Amino acid sequence: MSEALGRVVATERKPNTPHEFHFWTAIDSPVGIGTIVRVDGSHPMDGQIPHIYGIIVEGFSYTDLQSPMHDVLGHDGLPTTAGYAATERAEIRLYTAAVLRQMPEEPLQPVPMGQVFLADERDVQVALRMDSYLRDGASTGIPVGVYRAGATDAVIYLDADFLLGPEAAHLNITGVSGLATKTSAVEWLLASLFKHFPEEKGSIAAVCFNVKGPDLCYLDQPGHIEEADKALYEKLEVEPEPFDKVQYFAPYTAKGLTLNTFRNNEALLDNVVPLTWGLREVLQFAEVLLNKDDVDAKADALIDFIKENIVDKEFRDPVLTKTHKVQSFADLDAWFRDVLQGMERKDGESWRTHHVATIRKVRNRLSNISTRCAGLVTDSGDVSDLPFGSFEDRTVYVVDVANLEEDAQDLIFARIVSKLREHLERRDLGVKHLVVFVDELNKYAPGDGADTYVRKMLLDIAERGRYLGLVLFSAQQFRSQVHRRVVGNSGTALFGRMDPDELTTPGYAVLSPATRTKLATLEKGQLMIRHPHFTQPIFVRFPRPSVMQGREGAERYPQASDVPLDAAILRALRPLDPTITLSWVQEITALFTEEEVLKARNATLLARPANVKGYFESQFRKIIPTQTPPRPMAATIKTAPENDPYGF
Amino acid sequence: MLVSNSGPDAASRAALNLLIEKLPGLSPIDGGSSAEPMTSADPPILRSAQIVEGSSLRAVKVPDVARDTVSGFGAFLDGAQKIQVLGHQHGIPVVLGTISAAVRVRVNRRLVTWGHQPPRVERAMYLPLRYLPALRPDVVAALAKSAWRVVDTSTADRNGEYPSMHPAVLVERAIRAVDQQREELEDRLAEAWCALGEAPLFIDGGISRTPGVAASTCAVGVIKSHRTLYVEGDALKVVMGLKMGERSSVFRVSPRSRSAVLSWYLRQRAAGGHDAMWGLVRVEVAECDRPTERADEISRWVLAETSPLALPDGRWDKMSYGIRDCEEFLRAIS
Repeated sequence: MSEALGRVVATERKPNTPHEFHFWTAIDSPVGIGTIVRVDGSHPMDGQIPHIYGIIVEGFSYTDLQSPMHDVLGHDGLPTTAGYAATERAEIRLYTAAVLRQMPEEPLQPVPMGQVFLADERDVQVALRMDSYLRDGASTGIPVGVYRAGATDAVIYLDADFLLGPEAAHLNITGVSGLATKTSAVEWLLASLFKHFPEEKGSIAAVCFNVKGPDLCYLDQPGHIEEADKALYEKLEVEPEPFDKVQYFAPYTAKGLTLNTFRNNEALLDNVVPLTWGLREVLQFAEVLLNKDDVDAKADALIDFIKENIVDKEFRDPVLTKTHKVQSFADLDAWFRDVLQGMERKDGESWRTHHVATIRKVRNRLSNISTRCAGLVTDSGDVSDLPFGSFEDRTVYVVDVANLEEDAQDLIFARIVSKLREHLERRDLGVKHLVVFVDELNKYAPGDGADTYVRKMLLDIAERGRYLGLVLFSAQQFRSQVHRRVVGNSGTALFGRMDPDELTTPGYAVLSPATRTKLATLEKGQLMIRHPHFTQPIFVRFPRPSVMQGREGAERYPQASDVPLDAAILRALRPLDPTITLSWVQEITALFTEEEVLKARNATLLARPANVKGYFESQFRKIIPTQTPPRPMAATIKTAPENDPYGF
Repeated sequence: MLVSNSGPDAASRAALNLLIEKLPGLSPIDGGSSAEPMTSADPPILRSAQIVEGSSLRAVKVPDVARDTVSGFGAFLDGAQKIQVLGHQHGIPVVLGTISAAVRVRVNRRLVTWGHQPPRVERAMYLPLRYLPALRPDVVAALAKSAWRVVDTSTADRNGEYPSMHPAVLVERAIRAVDQQREELEDRLAEAWCALGEAPLFIDGGISRTPGVAASTCAVGVIKSHRTLYVEGDALKVVMGLKMGERSSVFRVSPRSRSAVLSWYLRQRAAGGHDAMWGLVRVEVAECDRPTERADEISRWVLAETSPLALPDGRWDKMSYGIRDCEEFLRAIS
């Protein structure tokens, strides 16, 4: 049994309560803010010695000095002479601890006087009620980090039932930008989840939206791990390796030649899939891109008419010159053109109750989408999408929207999350549990501002997602500025180093001043955790993720710049077939337009055929190469004999 | 020496309950009343002493005093007492006395309790048995067997006279007895320290009560009260006129029934604006061959102990911080 490090004290002015107690320690005791301690009561209650577990939330230090002036006088006003004093003043280290748990739990009484011990690993489990979900054979514990104090090195587990549902769900992480704490914590936690999520609870995957920088672009590449982190990995029973299965999705750039992602270096393209959508996919989420000023009731009615009656259907009308089957933005524009020309011919102001002005407005707005979301939305209608229905267990799907315009980001987010939700409702996504990671919640789900489609979706996930197995891992710099219902529904909250201004907001008033100070000065790799089982926030240390960091990845695998068409095709196809050469690409594509070549590339990437060369080649219409007819040999002009001027 | 007068505590309540049981008719005093320390019955006096450093008493500037002077004291000894009048039976006072003493050792500039001899706390009932006939011998024996030692404060003095029944006289008797027992407790600790011959011990008070301590080079007594001044005539002027950092010549103090020791006065703080005794202490050490060097060395140590200040204690001008620490410690445990 370890030695006592302190004694509980209570005075009339500073009494102990059932939820808080005070104790003093030696000056050099290895305790501080966040340390977990155990109090052993002196007198048994119902035949049982009470044990109280608490976490230090405040510390005080003072001497027997009654006034600072006495110290000044004692040293003649010269601070340098203070070190010569023969004796140091008696000094106290007095701590306040918040009760984590009392054993026995009933009757709940004020904390008794007793000796205070540093909590060991077993004590930490009991104090945080982890013993209820770390049972042998039925453990639902997910290691989140290591709690350290003195000689104690205890693994802190989150309860999977409260992290991924059904009891509670969702995780929110807050921290200042620039320390990579938020992204690192999520990367680490996903690795831990994939390793420790109980098999019997089913499959699990993650969809991560990379909204800024290259941080999530190298999850499958090994990173540099220091010895201290290796020890943490060993303690936490997670292999320090990058993610085994990762798929990346990114739209093309506006030109359509290269993928619009930091991960478009040729060496990394083998698991990068283009993300392209056509009219059908976009029209369903038109309201994401069209604001309320654009879409009044009349315009909304016309859009609904188009969705119901035009798209993917053969449409005839007396006003039209031909039958239309609209499958792409190009088709839609042709349809609009035909309708408007027909109306002009008839000199009519409305068609099927839709006013010409409304038709022109809707045409303008919808046609504009393919321009605003160029690279994502294709005129041609080609679709390359996430593998909805065939999601794989323990796989990370990263959707890189970092370089996209805000409209395109919103569209991608809204559609993917909606599709995930649909599939999870039907239980046919391919996995039972899905984690969706969204950073920059300040932007996507602000507490104030317009009620956007994306915010509504995030609220919906936060409030109902856990019943479906759809779990939101979200992050932001300022929790106070995120919609209350999003953060409020997060059963688990992580806090990295915090902005001091943020800590002054009312949401942090429940934390002691010392805890807030610690939060403002947390080191990289440290987190404060709130979890439904923990009655007080706990500080832990987590290992650096074993994946390549964004900055390092960007240096090692520089982003590809725009290249000529043939080089872009080579770069796209070579991961599928390394034997493809630039000269082969040039030979095949020489006679075709850029649009045709890109269409062939997209089709090949989508199909991923065994015979890449043959498939790619087959996408082009047969054109007999023009052959230059041989020039007829000109007849030799006969020369007249010198002596016969008429001799022809 | 700490004299505290706090209200009733668990010990006094237990004692009172015991007495109520054994002494029918006892009238408890609500909360117990504290007896103030008794000022000596003897009037303040001047007494001559034999000068052993030079031919006349003079002021000597303590040499080599600097801010970084290192004190040689390794420990501090002090005692404390608490006297509570718990009640009375027809005016005859029943007194509870608590005495304590401790040695606090300096380790890495911090003071901790001496491990060799734990601090002592003793409690006793001071009862004038002669005037409390209800307390039959068997009852007293029973009390003595319990946690409470009984001290009879109505015994005859050396002239064979018993104290009167005047309650004030009986309380005075009790106070003297407590005082004496506290001194004995301090002496036992001092003897134990000196027997081990560890580092020099700073004792609050004189060292001449026990021969072993009075002869030990480990013991240094520092006296803050000056009811008896060991100077007369011009020597008194010299002592009263000592400036900060000055000491008097060394003289020998040879009280009756006590051991002879060497002594000198030392001014620890400038007395300007204060009374003449401000910052004045008298130091006692064992007899030695080179009193001048010894007095200079010990004076340097005592001056070094003036920092940190013993504030907020009212006697901070004369008290060293180590002694204040002892008193605070004893207040906490007794």
